[in-house]
This record gives sequence, structure tokens and C-alpha cells, in this order.
Amino acid sequence: MPLLLVFTTVVILPFLIGIGYSFVKWDGIPANPKVFVGFDNYVALFKDDRFLTSAWHTIAFTVLALVLVNVLGLLFSLLVTSKLRVGNAARTMFFLPNLIGGLILGYIWQFVFTDAFKFLGEKTGLDSIFFNWLIDPKFALFAMVVVFTWQMAGYTMIIYIAGIQGIPDELNEAARVDGANLWHRLTRIVFPLLMPSFTICLFLTLSGAFKIFDVNLSLTKGGPNNATEMFAMNIFNEIFGYGHYGLGQAKAIVFFIIVAAVTLTQVIITKKREVQY
Amino acid sequence: MKTTSRVAGNVLLLLLSLVFLSPIYLMLVNSFKDRAELYRNALALPSSFSFQYYSKAMEKMGFLTAFGNSLYVTIISVVFVVVLASMTAWMLVRTDDRLSRFIFLLFVSTMLIPFQTLMMPLMQVMDWIRTHLHIPMLNTREGLIYMNVGFHASMAVFLYHGFIKSVPVALEEAATLDGCSKFGVFWRIVFPMLKTITITVAILDVIAMWNDYLLPSLTLSDKGLRTIPLSTFYFFGEFTIQWNLAMAGLTLTIIPVVIFYVFAQKYIIKGIAAGAVK
Amino acid sequence: MKKVKQATILLTATAMVGMLAACGSASNNNNQASGSPSASAPSSAAPEKLKKISLFQSKVEIAEPLEALAKTYQKETGNEVEVWGSAGDAYATQLQAKLAAGEGPTVFSVATGAEADKFKSYYADLSDEPFAKDIAKDMALKDGDKIVGVPYGVEGFGLVYNKSMVDPKNVTDLASFTQTLEKIKSEGKNGLSLSQEAYFLIGHIINTPFALQADPTGFIEKLNKGEVKMADTKEFQEFAKFMEAIRANTTNPMEVKYDSQMGDFATGKNAMVHQGNWSYGMLKDFGDLGFDVGMMGLPLAGNDKIAVGVASNWVVNSKADADQVKAAKAFLNWMFTSDSGKNAIVNEFKFIPAMTNIEAGELDPLSQTVYEATKNGQTIPWALNYFPQGIIVNDLAPATQAFFLDKKMTGEQFLKNLDAAWAKGAK
Repeated sequence: MPLLLVFTTVVILPFLIGIGYSFVKWDGIPANPKVFVGFDNYVALFKDDRFLTSAWHTIAFTVLALVLVNVLGLLFSLLVTSKLRVGNAARTMFFLPNLIGGLILGYIWQFVFTDAFKFLGEKTGLDSIFFNWLIDPKFALFAMVVVFTWQMAGYTMIIYIAGIQGIPDELNEAARVDGANLWHRLTRIVFPLLMPSFTICLFLTLSGAFKIFDVNLSLTKGGPNNATEMFAMNIFNEIFGYGHYGLGQAKAIVFFIIVAAVTLTQVIITKKREVQY
Repeated sequence: MKTTSRVAGNVLLLLLSLVFLSPIYLMLVNSFKDRAELYRNALALPSSFSFQYYSKAMEKMGFLTAFGNSLYVTIISVVFVVVLASMTAWMLVRTDDRLSRFIFLLFVSTMLIPFQTLMMPLMQVMDWIRTHLHIPMLNTREGLIYMNVGFHASMAVFLYHGFIKSVPVALEEAATLDGCSKFGVFWRIVFPMLKTITITVAILDVIAMWNDYLLPSLTLSDKGLRTIPLSTFYFFGEFTIQWNLAMAGLTLTIIPVVIFYVFAQKYIIKGIAAGAVK
Repeated sequence: MKKVKQATILLTATAMVGMLAACGSASNNNNQASGSPSASAPSSAAPEKLKKISLFQSKVEIAEPLEALAKTYQKETGNEVEVWGSAGDAYATQLQAKLAAGEGPTVFSVATGAEADKFKSYYADLSDEPFAKDIAKDMALKDGDKIVGVPYGVEGFGLVYNKSMVDPKNVTDLASFTQTLEKIKSEGKNGLSLSQEAYFLIGHIINTPFALQADPTGFIEKLNKGEVKMADTKEFQEFAKFMEAIRANTTNPMEVKYDSQMGDFATGKNAMVHQGNWSYGMLKDFGDLGFDVGMMGLPLAGNDKIAVGVASNWVVNSKADADQVKAAKAFLNWMFTSDSGKNAIVNEFKFIPAMTNIEAGELDPLSQTVYEATKNGQTIPWALNYFPQGIIVNDLAPATQAFFLDKKMTGEQFLKNLDAAWAKGAK
């Protein structure tokens, strides 16, 4: 299979090389020496408080984001596929945030949190809610969740839509004729048939949230006082900020094992619930 | 009663999407302001809607060349991803053995690797391919396409894998009995049934590749090869950002994708309708 | 099954053909057949066609004039320079990745200090080049005795002030500095503004106590080894008092971005900002300010000098092939000695030259101050160039953010936190 060949050279091979690097002490400059140090890097990372703290941030962030993104994404998809007149326009509007990728997204949101929130706080008097979230260690994390949700909800919406449109209308109609109310139709018919979409969306949000980097860098840079430094950013800093290539790779491997364990369990569980027909 | 609730629903949905769009409002209004005006009020409407920053941004970015490069890279990459990933996923679903399950998990698990940790070894592998196999992977658009296909394969396989299950095996068996080859079965029977998910994959991949900055920035160096996101670098100094040009550049970047998206959405809806009539 | 295989083979084949086809047109520096191996004399009279080179640098602000300069170079000499581009904060990472791929640029820029150290193994020796003798004293980037880098130019930072609001005579020590801040605060304005970016929050302002040590680099080395502590050093103790005064009397820098810092300064809301001559580019966008600007040193321990140094240097990639290295040296020579090159440096890049053979162009008021201070030797060094790699952004900035967010933290505690942060960052 050609895809496997491409995939191997582009992803698997570099990953294996990366595993190799996790056992050396090296600054990342090809011309400079690599010293084999065995498991030293792995020992060191478990003593790295900052790395462990970033792990907690990432977990808190991921849980919050996972729930919000999927609830919103599902809600949006149900709304825009119900026969409301503005459905089609809304579908595009919900999806637009996704088009603003990467760094600029964070910059725009800085305007929202610094300028727009201040404005709202002054106008509404609710300045305990509307203040600059980015300088409060707790709220900065929520700010990240908000931005990530804003970006991802439209993304998952698309996948839920694909799933919903795969459900035969007759099923819904038949249920309606039988007198099932909306809630019953959703829980008995729609949700079970959406299982493949759930698998996919949960997984995509999980992996996206765990790997989050761009938004982190451009919105908070990990601040204030490292309160929002996530896994990927910690690893990136180790590799390119401090030039500790081996240690950074070791962190990446540990990170990968943890995330893989969590998400693969999730995929296997939800895959089992998928309806075959 | 029913109509009022429907109107309310429409209004609510509209409001919700407007709140959702507010950051985009910021992007648009600030693409019309100079630094002093932006400083005075980032939220207000601009004092004048002149497109000077747009034309300036287009000129600085070498917009047409960059647009051509982006188009070339994105279209070819997406076609390869769709064709290769759908077949791969199909084979993985239909051959239910240990190996195929392992391959599937391999695809899935690699989606969890942060790109930043792959980029150095990736560049070394590409260097090796170039020096030993004499295929110019670096600083060519084709090399970028190759890498795009590799990086986006996992998600596409993953998406297809979930949806191929809903294609009835009975249909395929019937077609095989009618003398269709395996290849024919896939392209005539299975692939057409995957239309919705194919368009979804295409949308997601087009966006991801069109907007990607990091991978192209590593592989493409020459000015003539720059994609649209790469060519916006002029506006991003380490500390000083030329907001108006950056926002205008960004707007220019996403307009083609928005058009593509609206078009693709229409197609999904039409496709569904046509399928229902049959 | 068989058919599927055939089709996929076909697809790959097409892909390969596509790539091979690109082979011919790809401007791949390392693969390209060498242009002219014939002429070997370094400065033969006949104009010689040199190999095409690539140039990669971090300062986005000069990207366009640099491209224009490359065109002029081609017109005058017939030689080609391809100018690559990168957004400012992504530069070092991209450079590292490109070098790893053997796809490095022929000429590139490195920041003085830790970054220059990091890429040391790539530098070609420039000691014998004609322009080397023109580099101002102590300004060249050196590896041992060899000159390996040419400075972009010099830059300076200190207290940038609004001349209609602040008189430097009233800002000479901690007491008068604090008084000035208090007085301006009582008038409803803001005395001094730092901003949230790591360098503007702590990196630059903490340079002063380092630079005032008898031997700044020696002090940094001792600090790295844990032999001295900032908390026990006189200049730092006073620095902490300055920071307390700033926290007590001015806007919280965590709320301020570089953009708004300069906007507030341009509109007369900030009397002073701790900034460099580069910030004039931002002020210019506000049109006529209605007041004059000046720059003075941070009056710590009686200091009255601004900090001047070289931020970036041009280096030549020694791992490029020999013809390219030769062409690269020729280009640098042309840039620093020809009229077109010198003109571009001062008038287009707007650099304050760090070369004895280049006269400064028409300078903005801040650059003029820096230029004069340099000529008169009234400067303190950029000790921050010798800080361990990444420490300002990754360690010192978070500690400073904590100080500004927690009003109860004392200056003493702040210094202890900085010491702790340093110990971690210097590992």
C-alpha cells in the first residue's frame, strides 16, 4: 500500500528516530556531539516539577474542552440540520472560526480579552466576570478553553452533521408516527446511530486538546507565571528554548504513551458501541 | 404557537452565530485601521473603508504566485489523501485480522504525536531521501505534497474507517458475484456511498493544509514557492505586528476557503437529496 | 486485489514522476551543478559569475529592503542572492530545522550571545575578508580569535521619555525616580510603563544591574554555578527597590502590550517607557507627537548611561559548499563596502552602523542618542546577551509576572524567586 510507505517515511520513521534521541544528551545542532545517557532523561523528567505541573494543566484543560466542544458541536449540528430557515447560514458561521488557524487566532482573542472584555465590564458593571482573563492564573486557563472550544466546536459540528445525514429519515419519521417525543427520538435513534461520529469527535478533541500548542503560544505564552503552560509547550521549550533535545524527546515519548493509553481506551470503548448494519 | 417557536428558534440561532462571529468582526474592522486608530479603539467600526491595506498586503505577499502555490499543493494533496485513505480504510475494515487492526491503531495513535517533536527527525529523513534516492523532497512543492499526504493520512483513514462500516457488505458481495473486480467494487459501489464523509474529509484537509504554516515554513525556502500563509510573514515582526496588513492578509487567506466551504456544503445537501429520491 | 495494487502503483508512479519532473526546475542549492569552478583567484579583475546563494535572517522589518538590495546586487554584479523569509519569533526554530536537513541558508543571522553560541559549529572564518578590519572595536562576533560574524548595527535601550513631561535632571537616583513617578501619578498620568512581553517586562530592565558589575560575564558565570546570588548583591537589591517603586506607582505591565505601551506614550499618557531606539518605528505611525522624545539610562546606582549592544550578526554557513561560501563572502563584502550596500544599511534598513567605514544616515532622535552615546563611549554593555539560552522567556518572565500579580510580594522575595528561577534555567 503506497499510503503506508508515505506514512512510514513521514511519520513513523521520524518518530522512531525521535525515540532514539530520547536516550542521548544533545543540543539539537546536528554538528554537535550526541552523548548516550541511557534512561537519564527519563529519570530527570519525573523530577521536573514544571513538567508535572504542565501535565495537570493539560489534563484540566482537556477535560473541560472535551465536554464543551462536544456538547456545543452536537448542539450546533442538531440545530443546523433541523429545518430552521437560518440553518444553512448558521452552519457556515459556526464553521468560520475554524478557518482562522494558528497564531493569528490567539492575537485576535487577545483583543477580545483585553479590549472587548474591559468594554463589556465597564458597560454592564459585571466587572467580576468581564475583566482581562489573561492575567489571572485561573481564568487564563478558562480563556484557553473558550478559544479552543470556539475553534473546535465547528469542526466537530461538521463530523456530527455527516453522521446525522447518514441516518435514514424513515427511521425518525416512523418513530414520530409511533408517538416518540424529541428526547426519545434523540436518545433511542439518533445517538446510537451517531456512535461512529462520537468516536471520531471525542478522539479528535482529545488529541487536539492534548497537543494544543498554537493557541497556547499566541494567547498566553504559558503565562501568567506558567499557569497555562501545557505539555506541548513545555516540550517545545525544552527542545528549542533550552536546547535540551534529548530531554525534550523523552518528555514527548512519555507524553505520547500517556495520551495513547487514554485515547486508545476511549476509541476501543466507543468503537464497541458502534452499531453495525 | 408553532410558528412563534420557529421564529424564536431562528432568532436564537442567528444570535448565537453572531456571538460566535464576534472575533471575526474584530479581524475585519481592524484590517481597515492604521496603528493610531487601532490604538484608540480596537472595537469600533473603522473611520473609512478603504481597501488600501488589502491592496498593499496583496502586493507585499505576491498574492497571485502564493495563491497558485497554495492551490497546487492543497488540491493535489487532498486528492491523494482521499483516494489513498479511502481505499486503505476500506481494506482495513473488510479484512478483519490482527494485522489490519494493528495498522489501524498505528494510524490512530500517531495522530497523538505533537508535530514539534517530529520536525527535526523528519527533516533528517527527507535529507536522507534526497541524498540517497535523489528525490528532491525539500524546497519543492511536490515534497510538501508528499509530506502533507503522510501527515493527513491518519485522520482521513480514521474518518473513513468509522463510516465504511455503514456500507452494507451485502451490496459488495452482490457486485462481486456479478463479476466486478475488487477494484471495481470499491470505485463503483463503495466510494459513491461515502460521498458525505469524503466531502467532510476534503473540507477538513483543505482547511488544514491551506492554513498550515509550520510544515511549509520548514520545507519551502524560495520566495517563488511560498504558500499564502508563508507570504504573510512580512507583517509579523518579533514584537511589532502590522495589524492592518496582517488582518487584511488573513482575510485574503481565508476567503477562498470560505467559498470552497459554502460550495461543498451545498453539494452535501444536494447529494443527500439526490440519494433520497433514488 | 491485483487491480487495486496496479492502480496504487500507478498513483505512486505519477507522484514520483511529478517529483522528478520538479527536479529540473527546483532551485535546490545543494543539488545544483556548480556554476563556475574556473576562476579561483579571490579578486580577479574579470567579473566572475558566482554561485547563487541564499540568505535567511530574523528581522522582518528589513525583509523588503533586503530583497531590493539583492536585486541591486544582481544588477551590479550579475550574482544572485535568494532572500528567504520567516516570521520573527519562528526564525531560530526554522533555522535549526533547515540546518538539520542540510538545507541551510548560505548567509544567515544569529542573535549575539546564547544563540550565537548554539550555532557556532556552522561559522566560516571571516577574519581575512576586507570588511573585517572595518568592524568597530569589540563589535565583531568572534569564535576565539577568529572573526565569524559581522554586526547588523548597534541598538540601545533605556528610559525613553517625553521631554515635555520629564526632566532627566529629576531622574538621577532611586529617590528622585520614585518622586517623579509619584508626581506624575498625582497628575493623573502614568510615570513609567513596562509591557507584558518577556524582554520588555524584565529582560531589558534587569540588564542594568548586570551591566554595572565590574565583570558582567564573570558575574553571570558565577551566578550559573551558584557561587553568587542576586539577593546578596548590592545593585540587585537596589534593582528590587526600583521594581517595587514601579509596581506601586504605575500601571500593571501585565495589562499592557507593546502596542498599547507605545500608544499611551505617543498620546502623552505615559511619561516614560523602558524601551529601545527600535520603538521609534512605532511612534512614527502616530504622526506628529507634539512633543520631543529622549532616552536616558535607568538611574540605578547612579547609572546615567544607556545600554548599547549588537543584537544580530551576519554569519556565513561553513557547511555550504566551497563555491557558495566564496559567493557569500563576496556578497557581504559588497554590502559593507560598496556605496549601494552602505546606503541600504543606513538609509533603508535604518541601522546605526557598527562599522568604521560607514557614516550614520539621517537618524531618528532615539537612534541619534544611541549613536552619540556610542561615539562618546557613554554606554553600558548588553549583559543579557550572555544569559543562559532561553532564560528570560522561560524563567525570569514567569517570576516577574508573579511579582506584578501579587502586590504583597516584597522586592527581597522577588530577588529570591529570580535566583531560584535562574538556578533552574541555567541547568
